[in-house]
Amino acid sequence: MVASKEPSVLLSHLHRADGSATFSQNGYTVIGAVNGPIEVPRRHELPEEAVIEVLVRPAAGVGGTRERHLESILHSTLRQIILVHNFPRHLIQVTLQITNTPENKNTGSKVVQAGSHLAILPALLQTAVLALLSASMPLATILTSVSIAIHADGKSRKLITHPSLKEFESASSVHIMAFTSHGEPLVVESQGTFTLEDWEEVFETVKALCHAEHNRIDDNAMQGVDGKGNMLEFVKSAMGEKVAQDLHWHT
Amino acid sequence: MASTRTSTFVLPGDRLDPASLPSHPTLPLKLGPGLRHIPPNTITPTVAGQLCTDKRKNAVWVEFNGGRYIPTTGDLVIATIQNSAVDIFYASVSDYAPKATLPQLSFEGATKKTRPQLSFGALVYARVTHANKHMDPELECVSQSTGKSEGLGPLTGGMVFDISLGMARRLMLPKPVEQGALVILDELGGQGVAFEIAVGRNGKVWVNSNSVKGTIAIGRAIQETDEKALKIEEQRKLAKKVAREI
Repeated sequence: MVASKEPSVLLSHLHRADGSATFSQNGYTVIGAVNGPIEVPRRHELPEEAVIEVLVRPAAGVGGTRERHLESILHSTLRQIILVHNFPRHLIQVTLQITNTPENKNTGSKVVQAGSHLAILPALLQTAVLALLSASMPLATILTSVSIAIHADGKSRKLITHPSLKEFESASSVHIMAFTSHGEPLVVESQGTFTLEDWEEVFETVKALCHAEHNRIDDNAMQGVDGKGNMLEFVKSAMGEKVAQDLHWHT
Repeated sequence: MASTRTSTFVLPGDRLDPASLPSHPTLPLKLGPGLRHIPPNTITPTVAGQLCTDKRKNAVWVEFNGGRYIPTTGDLVIATIQNSAVDIFYASVSDYAPKATLPQLSFEGATKKTRPQLSFGALVYARVTHANKHMDPELECVSQSTGKSEGLGPLTGGMVFDISLGMARRLMLPKPVEQGALVILDELGGQGVAFEIAVGRNGKVWVNSNSVKGTIAIGRAIQETDEKALKIEEQRKLAKKVAREI
């Protein structure tokens, strides 16, 4: 089964949560729920800003070191975009439940998945942002995230955006980046062997994909990258639809 | 009204076109919910919604339906009494949020000798007097200037229904029929159904009528209008159905 690179999302479908989103891309499906601002236990509260709690739950079994690492990346990223100073002594809870992962030959074996734990990061980030938007949480900006795999064999190299798990695992290096809607980098995670030129090319490519005003880039950087998959446009259209539906009564 | 208002879709952090903001020779610009001002002169939205402007009042705000109720000064809310201390009640405005305080003397005609006896679970219709990010919200059930209740106070009988924040806003519009495309209540009244209603900005609506069956039917009709986004015609049909069944 070939998983679709096209993202899809379902917004505000959990009626008990303040905000929720189910996002799928590349064979990964993540349910995200946001609750907040709510009361926080005394021992955890921060006097000047909101506490953000990120919970990542794997598709099978209980979370371990891998999930804690993903949570720490998500936590430091979301802290930058949520206006935490608006809600001192409150808690904002972001729960991300992975429900679907792409098929691989060692399903359920943690050893193989451990090497590629970054593959799910863009889906987690995107789900968290969409769930926050659905909860109308005050944000400074939104972020969009893209993964890129580089396949290099000596002379030639090929960039693949939104790689499948197979492409991800066979790549010489993989890069996950997230940008704000103004084109500022927030997350930069790289894994594997690559040169500084490779990295710079990836940086520019992802920036173009995450940033609407950067749509025009020169042909060299566009190698192996189709014009589609602009994540900012996707978030815009998904949210625009939801807002229009919510405010159907508004003239 | 519609002629002075415009609306466009915005996302958090979008750069607003200065031409889209209203300008007025004398009135200062009023920023409503969903916007923030970054000194010196940047205004950006913080939520996804429709940017609305009112040239006459020189106001700009973002209209959205969502999430959790955040207390704001002047809002009317339906609160549940949780417990009482020496001279205050602790009331819950939304679940799992810090409790709001309601002084026992801020009821109509309350004195140190005659204060209202409210136990756990009692409902009050109250106004938010203080809402500050660093402090728990404070409520009152009496108008400070006149000393009269003006419709606020304990709600006895009836039942509370949860609705979305957007629906609460629609119900509280000065002209819900023209501005909010909401005719369900007028239609129910027109069918001869007698009921009392109180709408809380925190996404709660209290309904009371002379029978439990009627109360539940009316509450459900309001919830259905909200969840299924019923059009005016569908609301009329629903009101007729509800009135027939009661």
